[in-house]
Amino acid sequence: MTPEIEHIRNIGISAHIDSGKTTLSERILYYTKRIFAVHEVKGKDGVGATMDSMELERERGITISSAATYCEWNNHTINIIDTPGHVDFTIEVERSLRVLDGSILVLCAVGGVQSQTITVDRQMNRYKVPRIAFINKCDRAGANPGRVVEQLCARLNHNAVLMQIPIGLEGELAGVVDLVSMRAIYFEGPYGGDLRSDDIPDYLLDDARKAREVMLDAASMFSDRLMEAIIEGDVSSGLIHEAIRTGTISRELTPVFLGAAYKNIGVQPLLDAVTLYLPSPMDVKNIALDLEQEEKEVVLVSEPSAPLVALAFKLEVTPYGQLTYLRIYQGSIKKGDDLVNTRDRKRVKVGRLARMHADKMEEISIARAGDIVTLFGVECYSGDTFTDGRLRYAMTSIFVPEPVISLSVSPKDNKSEIKMAKAINRFVREDPTFRSYVDHESGENIISGMGELHLEIYVERMKREFGAEVETGMPQVSYREAISARAEFDYIHKKQTGGAGQYGRVAGFMEPSEDGVYEFINSIKGGVIPTEYIPAIDKGFKSCLKKGRLIGFPVLGMKITINDGQFHSVDSSELAFTQAAIGAFNQAYFKAKPIILEPIMKVSVESPSEYQGNVMASINQRRGIIISSAEDGMFTNVESEVPLAEMFGYATALRSLTQGKAEFTMEFSKYQKVPESIAEELKKTLVERSKGGKK
Amino acid sequence: MQDFIDISPLKLLEMSSRKELGRGKLGVLMARAGVGKTACLIHIAFDKLFRGEKLVHISLEDAPEKVTSYYNVIFYDLVKALDMKNETENKMLFDRNRMILAYMNRSFKIKRLKENLKTLVDKIEFLPDSLIVDGLDFENADRDIFEGFKELASEFNVEIWSSALSHRHITDVNERGIPYPCSRVDDLLSIVIQLQSTQSGVFLKLIKDHDSPVLPDANVRLDPNTFLVVT
Repeated sequence: MTPEIEHIRNIGISAHIDSGKTTLSERILYYTKRIFAVHEVKGKDGVGATMDSMELERERGITISSAATYCEWNNHTINIIDTPGHVDFTIEVERSLRVLDGSILVLCAVGGVQSQTITVDRQMNRYKVPRIAFINKCDRAGANPGRVVEQLCARLNHNAVLMQIPIGLEGELAGVVDLVSMRAIYFEGPYGGDLRSDDIPDYLLDDARKAREVMLDAASMFSDRLMEAIIEGDVSSGLIHEAIRTGTISRELTPVFLGAAYKNIGVQPLLDAVTLYLPSPMDVKNIALDLEQEEKEVVLVSEPSAPLVALAFKLEVTPYGQLTYLRIYQGSIKKGDDLVNTRDRKRVKVGRLARMHADKMEEISIARAGDIVTLFGVECYSGDTFTDGRLRYAMTSIFVPEPVISLSVSPKDNKSEIKMAKAINRFVREDPTFRSYVDHESGENIISGMGELHLEIYVERMKREFGAEVETGMPQVSYREAISARAEFDYIHKKQTGGAGQYGRVAGFMEPSEDGVYEFINSIKGGVIPTEYIPAIDKGFKSCLKKGRLIGFPVLGMKITINDGQFHSVDSSELAFTQAAIGAFNQAYFKAKPIILEPIMKVSVESPSEYQGNVMASINQRRGIIISSAEDGMFTNVESEVPLAEMFGYATALRSLTQGKAEFTMEFSKYQKVPESIAEELKKTLVERSKGGKK
Repeated sequence: MQDFIDISPLKLLEMSSRKELGRGKLGVLMARAGVGKTACLIHIAFDKLFRGEKLVHISLEDAPEKVTSYYNVIFYDLVKALDMKNETENKMLFDRNRMILAYMNRSFKIKRLKENLKTLVDKIEFLPDSLIVDGLDFENADRDIFEGFKELASEFNVEIWSSALSHRHITDVNERGIPYPCSRVDDLLSIVIQLQSTQSGVFLKLIKDHDSPVLPDANVRLDPNTFLVVT
């Protein structure tokens, strides 16, 4: 059975750690009959919550990797993407937010809006994800849902409005009053599975009427019909739902629901709200990039009959083999179809098509626009776009930044060596910014990526998921070399080894390149070097750029001009001229005053405004340059440029400086000359390290 | 390379009594909508940067990315116009000496700006010589704001340049000859200059010169594309 697109909800559940979102997910699966027993997050029963499918997650009680699962409620299909709740796993967060149409923001009735709530809420704002709020743990001592609603408005700028009021609080929590139907709802039977609707208790009637008035006031802003109905005193539930839905989808209203998932209270009305208020894939505008038109943005249509566009947003190794999670944005996929991967234009056949429910699966024969499904045995990378071949669209830019940091990893034993290789092979496919190679000088396996935390997560996953015991070296910044002056060369490569000799003379000059690109200019006149040897000279110079003579890092572009030379009719060859170019490079390189360049990262720190000073000072201490500081109410965003070498351990430092209330992102900006004082020290360290590596 | 100082719009101030605005004082650049207030204000900022001074650009409307791109566009125009050789070094130096403080969604308050300036001085030893204020709703701003700026100028020993939008249909001039909207607070302003686009070209005119009368013909003609003084 394929669901109608208007009956699909692709949602995430986002929250501060320990707000109970995994428990909530678990209850949702239970009430929607996807599971038949309830397990707890910390896994006291040795099973663990169903959504936390990775071992590491089960152990820590947190969710690292986003497992997708689906369930059915009120004739709607709900695909739940369990988004990570920890600030360090932003790659996973960004990926899962990309495929969401709506979200449940879970808050703790005691803790209220916490630092991580602010982070996830901001992330959802960035991706324009409409949300409804669920105030969980209303059964806990100190629970105060009213205060949480105030915080949602004041601290997160939500237009939050209660859709329910609690019947009792803390240990007395018995149910909720639904302000739309004005009925009391009690959750009875095993695991609260039987809902009993009753009259509102007398002592709550006044509070309920007042709260309903506030809710109607807020909802009427989104519907003239509701406003008229309120004036005429003839308000129907349908009108309220319609207005709340409009407000929610436009992200101008956040309806708030209450409960205690652990005590099985309030989850079913929340599921009703998901189907009533959160958008279907049809309500959301999705953009793809047309690769035939220089990545021009195109709007996709959620039409099953349109040409296919689907995004592979997650890969997983499972007992069934490699699993690719796919979000279909446009068109349909049937078992047996041929798909084309936009990145490499390779065709793949859809063998098995399934819906996942955490780590269990259900095979299906067709899936349509708006759906989230899994493919088996399809060779692809995470972030790849699939089409049926009629379009060449990509859901994400095909630009992949170069890694800026590397780390050596070595297996502790033979068994781990194979497991580590498997793990690396998998990660490279999952994440295009994660790379791996073997350093031929030291023989070490090197992994490289976009930041310290990025690599730390993969090392942890090697151990946990693949059982590979590994040791890591110190993180290593990917420096570059460049020349800073013009230098001339005139080199003769001459070799007589008994057989045919080698002869080639190359003369010219090297000079810095303004844009960091390698350029080879042939100014040879009068055929002093025959044309057929010119590409070999170019090749010789290019080969020297791979490893600079100063500290052994790649050389970032230069302009090389050859204007003279000599050849021998018998002894000259392509090889001889390649060697001559290498000799010429070595002859001129140090005369061209090489310098060390370091990666400079664009660092953006968002924090409550009171920490602006601490944030700026922390950047200043790290040789950073603050570009700007932008305030928007209570938050300040400080933009800066900081050398990557100074960013190690910054996440921890920032947390302690801001009581964990700041969040930072960084991306590569440019290469810049290392200051003289630091360059000398660096040269010594790197040379010593490379000697050590050769031993 | 041609010296920027010789063709900077602030060359106009050579025709003023003190040859400068001066620390602790407020200056205003007036112009009608679309004449190029922000561009001219950024040229004033470059005048300071070319002198090796430090400045804080305060944006009350645009996000920092937009302000940065304004500076970049004007910088590369100057590279061409001045035939600048050491472009990379200059760019790096200017970026270091310029700080952008943006206050989005009407979040600007003098008190908060004061705290932010104090942070710059105390925490990262960034001591500005000038403040450039762009996006101030001059005609609707309370007098308190200007008094606040005046106090900040004294406290941090900086000169402050701001822009003001004038209107074709409002020709009011106060008893000291200062046009609307500067006329409301001209006692707090030391220099007022007006950017005018006429059929014969773009001119920058001195309207108020500290406590001295403005000299007749105290104006410079600007290149309409580069806002540099036509010599």
